[in-house]
Amino acid sequence: MKTRTRSLVAAVWLAALATLQAQGPPGPPGPPRAPRAAAPVDFTGYWVSVIAEDWRWRMVTPLKGDAASIPITPEARKVVDSWDPAKDEAAGVQCKAYGAAGLMRLPGRVHMTWLDDTTLKLETDSGTQTRLLHFGGTPPAKEVPSWQGYSVAQWERPPQTPGAPPTLPIFATRIGTRGRALEVTTTHLRPGYLRKNGVPYGDKVSLSEYFDYFKEPNGDEWFTVTTIVRDPQYLNGPFITSSDFKKEPDGSKWRPTPCTPR
Amino acid sequence: MARSGVRLPARLARIAAALLLTCAAPAAAQVDFSGQWAPVYHEDNPERIPGPELADYTGLPLNDAARLQADSWDADRISVVSPYQCRPHSSDYGMRGLGNLRVWAELDANQQLQAFHTYMPAWGSERTIWMDGRPHPPDYAEYTFQGFSTGVWEGNMLTITTTHLKTNYYRRNGVPSSDRRTVVEHWTRHAEFLTVITVVTDPVFLTEPLVRSQNWFYDVGQALPAFNCEYASELPGAQKVPNHLPGTNPYLSEFADWYGLELAATRGGAETMYPEYRLKMGAPHSKPPDRCQRYCTCSGGFNCDVNPRR
Repeated sequence: MKTRTRSLVAAVWLAALATLQAQGPPGPPGPPRAPRAAAPVDFTGYWVSVIAEDWRWRMVTPLKGDAASIPITPEARKVVDSWDPAKDEAAGVQCKAYGAAGLMRLPGRVHMTWLDDTTLKLETDSGTQTRLLHFGGTPPAKEVPSWQGYSVAQWERPPQTPGAPPTLPIFATRIGTRGRALEVTTTHLRPGYLRKNGVPYGDKVSLSEYFDYFKEPNGDEWFTVTTIVRDPQYLNGPFITSSDFKKEPDGSKWRPTPCTPR
Repeated sequence: MARSGVRLPARLARIAAALLLTCAAPAAAQVDFSGQWAPVYHEDNPERIPGPELADYTGLPLNDAARLQADSWDADRISVVSPYQCRPHSSDYGMRGLGNLRVWAELDANQQLQAFHTYMPAWGSERTIWMDGRPHPPDYAEYTFQGFSTGVWEGNMLTITTTHLKTNYYRRNGVPSSDRRTVVEHWTRHAEFLTVITVVTDPVFLTEPLVRSQNWFYDVGQALPAFNCEYASELPGAQKVPNHLPGTNPYLSEFADWYGLELAATRGGAETMYPEYRLKMGAPHSKPPDRCQRYCTCSGGFNCDVNPRR
């Protein structure tokens, strides 16, 4: 019996060894591919937001006081009830609804291009805004808050518990080996609005986004961006939405417009 | 058999080879969606929890046939037509309704994924998503509220195609969906969040595919109950199915009035769903209220107040 047990343990060990060897010798590490070259999905091009959800909160400026669907705090409720677009305009902050935490919910078109090998540029015609999605690194120490903040991007890694140690590929292989999503984390945002009628976010806000590409049988190409807004000041918990964009053949419908407060 | 200078007895080599085949095989599932998922209602909350306003067709690429049928709808119908009383949400609309969700995987003896199963307590809806490559049944096979679903992997995204769906609704204010529709879903998991994108193609009632997306968060503490629904005659002796004949529904403009919207926009249609429609959108049907008066505070599950300011 003991011999059998030893044999089994040896077989398991050898299988693990062989599996590791099958992955190939470590060899000299090659240069990592630039994010642009490593892109599993091509997000470049013109995309239009198709408003099948939240229509009356997106296609028109909602009525004052309407914060339906958003988990706001009592402090935020006071801000919502005191919204005054004329005051915003006079203060020169008519772009408050065009900050990164609310921008992707606005009706409009998105144009994505590579600025360089590590920076994806996302422009919107609504409010004529530009977001730069920086692959790698962290926000500069003295980054000044802005409407679009500082965005760190990566091609999403397979789902795994953060910080989990690597495991031997025996009796369990890693699942989720082919991530295709673009993951973006944005901080350093200037306070703004989640909706045009003044539902606020504050200067402690952070933003997580996941861009997923899909193609339909009729040939239409889409991406959906799942947006998670966290704001300890004005939200009771994460505010989670997903916005759907359809690819357009060209930029013929691209119409840059300025920010408007109402 | 020798590897790295190690000589194996034949029996050990066979065991090792068998283990290798087991362990080094490509993962059949890219992501395991199993578990308890709690729905997030941060989009269209008033529609999805308390329920949609009458004649709110915004955001739906409807054709005239769909409008005609929706305009005839009367909520009293549920009190009279008993099959409507316990009629489930179909698997496509169910994703937008009371969507507490449990997912579990069915594996074969070789631990290969054969199917995902889902359960939602609302109407006790249980569904199977076959992952074993089987084809869809012929058109004459049974049609159900959950339909027949098969799934394939596209990287980490699970893409599901569903056919054989019974007629149901795109919005539970009478906007119909037909049994000719095909539903494609894309399931993606990011950290503790699940997003399901639903694409419906319906040659009977839609002029272009309807694309919507819903979200859940992983909730290990969620426990789902059974669902009980009993038929009860609420209007004994009723002689007709409540309805509005064409051109007679007096409530079609209420929604536009309450929220200060152009009436034409509330009638839906693909054109109204694109940004450029704002340039041609007309004036509100009537003078809009100064501030929100209905469903202004819905944010969680059931904390909606219809008239919070009265």
